[in-house]
Amino acid sequence: MLTGIILMIFKSPDLIISSMMSASESSVNLCISLLAIYAVWLGLLKILENTGFNKQLAKWLSPIIGFLFGKNIDEYTKSQIAINLSSNILGLGNAATPSAIKAMQGLDPKTGKINNSMTMLMIVNCLSFQLLPTTIMGLMVASNSTNPSGIILPTICTSILTGVIIITITKLIFKVRKKHDK
Amino acid sequence: MISSYILPILIFIMLVFATIKKTKPYNSFVDGAKESINLIVDIFAYIVAVFIFIEIFDKSGLCDILTKVLSPVFNVLGIPTELTKLVVLKPFSGSGGLAILQNVYDIYGVDSYIARCASVILASSDTVFYVSTVYFSKTSVKKLGIAIPIALCATLLSTILACLFCKIF
Repeated sequence: MLTGIILMIFKSPDLIISSMMSASESSVNLCISLLAIYAVWLGLLKILENTGFNKQLAKWLSPIIGFLFGKNIDEYTKSQIAINLSSNILGLGNAATPSAIKAMQGLDPKTGKINNSMTMLMIVNCLSFQLLPTTIMGLMVASNSTNPSGIILPTICTSILTGVIIITITKLIFKVRKKHDK
Repeated sequence: MISSYILPILIFIMLVFATIKKTKPYNSFVDGAKESINLIVDIFAYIVAVFIFIEIFDKSGLCDILTKVLSPVFNVLGIPTELTKLVVLKPFSGSGGLAILQNVYDIYGVDSYIARCASVILASSDTVFYVSTVYFSKTSVKKLGIAIPIALCATLLSTILACLFCKIF
């Protein structure tokens, strides 16, 4: 950030404030469209939550959740993680965000320090596992691609291989740290 | 396309399920939707900060400098040099990434190897910095420790693998 500002002072000082303002403006626009999106998704997800489906989903996914995030997680947080993981897989990025925020709150030890489960949740979300990359395929169709579904297989292979490698490395780091602390 | 049917069907099943279980879907929806405004209020400031950061990063030419420096390194890793800017900007900005993707389609053709690589790269990674600020906005955590380095490694790894798999398939 600092380097950027210094560079701009030399190159185009008059652009600093204007680009800050335009960035702020576009973030206001984003927040308004996010508000619309989250209102719909949080509404729908609440319907799902009240039917008890979340808990069922959490039960189905509990081996995975236990493996990735540890066993000491309360019911509610578990169900939020379950929703987060399944909306990622279905490619519903907009439903994944509110559930991730709630899950993070649930995992928060309130000590100001990040714990392993939170680290893992963020990393899993950054991997962006998805079965159908709908946004990108939509763009390809719009550009008259002859074979938009051709990216599905490489995308899934990439996601799975990256996921396996990165999750293994993260787990290893957690283990090394634990030994170090003892 | 099948994908356009997934959501409507899911929502339909959800509503049928709620009706069978008699959980008052309308009231539930309103309760859930109410939360959205608080959520936005909480994350707004973080989004503004990230956006300003991205704008300065891009407009100051820092992004271009980083692109130039990293190009040869990426070449060794099997990532086409044309895609360096995409790889550099993607962790910061999702919309920026999509804009570059569209640009790549226009220049190289949507079915070219470069365009396919770019598509797979974008589809298999997320905006690390945006995700980290928004996800942690309601927690007490101030320092993310190893989370960001690992996430960035994941992005790099998925980029390399994406270019590799695009060659194979």
